[in-house]
Amino acid sequence: MTTTSSDRSDQLDEAGLAIQNRLALGRQLGTGNIGHAEEDSDGRMRATIRIPEDELVWDPAIIILPHGGELELTLINDDKNTHCAVLPTIGDHLIIWLVNHSKGTATLNLPGPGTYWYGSTTGNDEGRGLTGAIVIGGEVPAEAKLDRPAQPRP
Amino acid sequence: MTDYVDAGQAVRLTSLSAVKGSAPQVTENVNYERILDASSEPQNWLTYYGTYDGQRYSTLDQINKENVRRLTPAWVFQAGATGMHSGASTYSFEASPLVVDGVMYVSGPEGKVWAIDATTGEELWRFKYPSPYDVSLCCGNVNRGVAVGHGKVYLCTLNAHLIALDATNGEIVFDVVNGDVRAGESGTVAPLLVKDMVIIGSSGGEFGVRGHLDAFDAQTGERRWRRYMIPKPGEPGSETWPADGEAWQRGGGNCWVTPTYDPEQELLFQGTGNPAPDFDGGVREGDNLYTDSVVAVDVNTGEIRWHYQFTPHDLWDYDSTMENLLFDAPDGRKLLAHADKNGYFFVLDRTNGELVRVFPFVDRITWGEISPDGKVTPKVYPDKEGEPVHFWPGPAGGKEWTHMSYNPQTGLIYVPVQEVGATATRRRREFKESIPYWGAGVAVDLEDFYGYVAAIDPLTGEEKWRWRNEYPMCASTLTTAGGLVFQGIPTGEFVALDAETGEKLWSFQCGSGHHSSPTPYSVDGRQYIAVPTGWGGWVEGFFPGFLGANAGDALFVFALPED
Repeated sequence: MTTTSSDRSDQLDEAGLAIQNRLALGRQLGTGNIGHAEEDSDGRMRATIRIPEDELVWDPAIIILPHGGELELTLINDDKNTHCAVLPTIGDHLIIWLVNHSKGTATLNLPGPGTYWYGSTTGNDEGRGLTGAIVIGGEVPAEAKLDRPAQPRP
Repeated sequence: MTDYVDAGQAVRLTSLSAVKGSAPQVTENVNYERILDASSEPQNWLTYYGTYDGQRYSTLDQINKENVRRLTPAWVFQAGATGMHSGASTYSFEASPLVVDGVMYVSGPEGKVWAIDATTGEELWRFKYPSPYDVSLCCGNVNRGVAVGHGKVYLCTLNAHLIALDATNGEIVFDVVNGDVRAGESGTVAPLLVKDMVIIGSSGGEFGVRGHLDAFDAQTGERRWRRYMIPKPGEPGSETWPADGEAWQRGGGNCWVTPTYDPEQELLFQGTGNPAPDFDGGVREGDNLYTDSVVAVDVNTGEIRWHYQFTPHDLWDYDSTMENLLFDAPDGRKLLAHADKNGYFFVLDRTNGELVRVFPFVDRITWGEISPDGKVTPKVYPDKEGEPVHFWPGPAGGKEWTHMSYNPQTGLIYVPVQEVGATATRRRREFKESIPYWGAGVAVDLEDFYGYVAAIDPLTGEEKWRWRNEYPMCASTLTTAGGLVFQGIPTGEFVALDAETGEKLWSFQCGSGHHSSPTPYSVDGRQYIAVPTGWGGWVEGFFPGFLGANAGDALFVFALPED
C-alpha cells in the first residue's frame, strides 16, 4: 500500500479543513489520503484502511484499484470510539461493525471503471468525514467498446 | 496496547433484516411460448408492456367502473437508500413491476432488484448492484424494469452491464458488459425476452455515443448480434450524415426504451433517440438516420428491414424512443401507433413502414409542421449562435417515454400528454467523451404548462375525450377490461378514469409524483394494481415547474377490500 500527497493537503491543513471541529464542524469530505491496492499475480487485490484516533477519516480515504475484480480489504479501527463500514460489492452492501481497537476483513467484488462509495453509517460518521471512495481505473473490455475511432477525452 | 478485537468478516447488509433470501421457483417455465400467449394468463404481467404488442391492457375486470371508488392500498413497499449514490437528487422509481404466480419482480434506482410477495409486500430477496456514483447520466438514477424467464431475472445496470439473477434467490448468474462508461454509455432500459435471447438497448445519447440494440443468449450472456443505429460510412443510411466528418461517430440514436415485437414477422419495433449534439444541426447536416425513428429489426439477425423517421435532422431533442404500440385494424391491416415527442401521432403499416395517418395530439406545436402525407417542415429551431429560440413541445416532448395504452373494448389509445415549451440557445462546443454534448443552453418553461390524458381513436385520429389537469402527465397509462384507465400525476395522486368518457372515478394520494408504469395482476382471485411512485429523473426536462416537489421511492399496491 502506498500513499501520495500534494500541495492541496497543505492548504487543507492550513485552512483547518482536514481536521475535526476547526474551521468546519467535521472534516471536509474527500480530504483524506490516497492509497493504491496491491495486486497479486492472480489479479486479486489487497488493501488496508484504518480509522486514526479522533480524526473521523478513513486512511486512506481513496483506494485506487487498477481494474475491477476481487478486493480483500482489511479494516482497522484505531479510534477510541465505535464505527462501522458499509461497503459495495456485487449482490448487496456488506457491513462490518468496528468497535474501538478492532480489526476485520471484507471481500469485495466490484465491476469496472468508476467510483464506489463506502462509509461508516452510524450516527453522522458519514458527514463528519468517514466517507470514502474506491476508485477503479482501466477501460471496459474491448468487446464492450463502441465501434468507432478513438475519441478525445477531457 | 492489547491485540485488536477481532471484528470478523463483513456480512451482507440484507442479512441484518427480515428479508427471507428466497422466493418460490415460478419463473423456470416462463419462456417464449408463455410470453407470446401472455394475454391468456392475465393474473400475471410477464413482460414489460404486459404483452409483446405494447398495449398495456389487462383483461382483469374485478376492479371496474362500478366499484373502483372502493379501491384501497393493500400494501406499500419502501425502497430506501444507503450511502452516496449517483444522481443523489435525481433518482426516480420508474419501473413497471412484473408478476409471476404471486411473486413480484421489480427494479428500483441504483441497481436494486427485489422479489416481493405480491399479496403481502413481504420482501423475499434483494439484489444490489454496485453502480459507480460518477457514471454519466443525462436523466437521473433510474431503471425501467426487469425481464423474467428461464428461471432468471434480467437487469440493465447504470454502468451498462446486462446481468442475470437466479429468480429464486437473487444470486448473480452472469454479468456481461454491454457499453463503455468512459464514453458516457449507461443502461436504464427494461430488457425484453424473445425466443432464447435477451434484447437490450443502450443509453447515453446526450453524451455523443453511437446508439445500439443488442441481443444476448438468455442462458449464457453471450452476444448474438449488435445493431448500431448510426451507420458507418458506406453502410445504408450513411448518406444522411456528412460524408467527410466525424459526426456519425457521435451521432446518438440510442435505444433506451423497450421495443415492441411482432412474432409473425419476427420483427422488433425499436424507437431510437435524438441525434447528437441535440440542438446543433450544423455539425451533422442531413437527415441523420436512424435517429428519431422506428426501426424494424429482424430479431434473428439484427438486420434492419425498414424504418420510418419521425423527425429528420432533429434540432429539438425529439427522441422517438417511446413505444410503438401494435394493433390490427378491423380490416385486418397490421398497424403500429406512435405518439412522438414532436407532438404528432403516427399510424404506420407495420409490415412495411408505410405511413397510414399522422395528426397532432397536442395543442401547441411551433417547431414545425408535418402534413397529412408526412412531409416535415421545420419552422423554429436553434440556428444562430447565442440566439434564444422558444418552441413547443419542449425537449421532453408532447409525450415522453412514459407509455400510452390501448383498450380493444373501446378501440381507444390513452395518451399521457405534456404541454410544456422550452427555449434553446445554440452554443457550439467541442466533443469530449463523457461530457454532455448538447450544443445549446436549454431552459424548459417554468410556467404556462398543463397536461391531459387524451383518448384517441387511432383509426380516425379523433380525440374522443380528454381528462385535463393543470399539470403535465409524466407517467404511463394502463387500461383494463373493467372499463378503466389508470394514470399517476405529478402531485402524487393515482387516478382511475372511465375509459369511455374520461370521467374521474377514483383518486389516491401517494405522497410523491408519478413517473412510472402501473402493473395489473391477480393472486387467488383478487385483483391488484401496483404503481411505483417517486418524483425524479429528468424533471428539469419534462416539468421543471416541479423541481421542488417531494421525492420518494415507494411502491403502492391497490385492491378492493376483501370483506
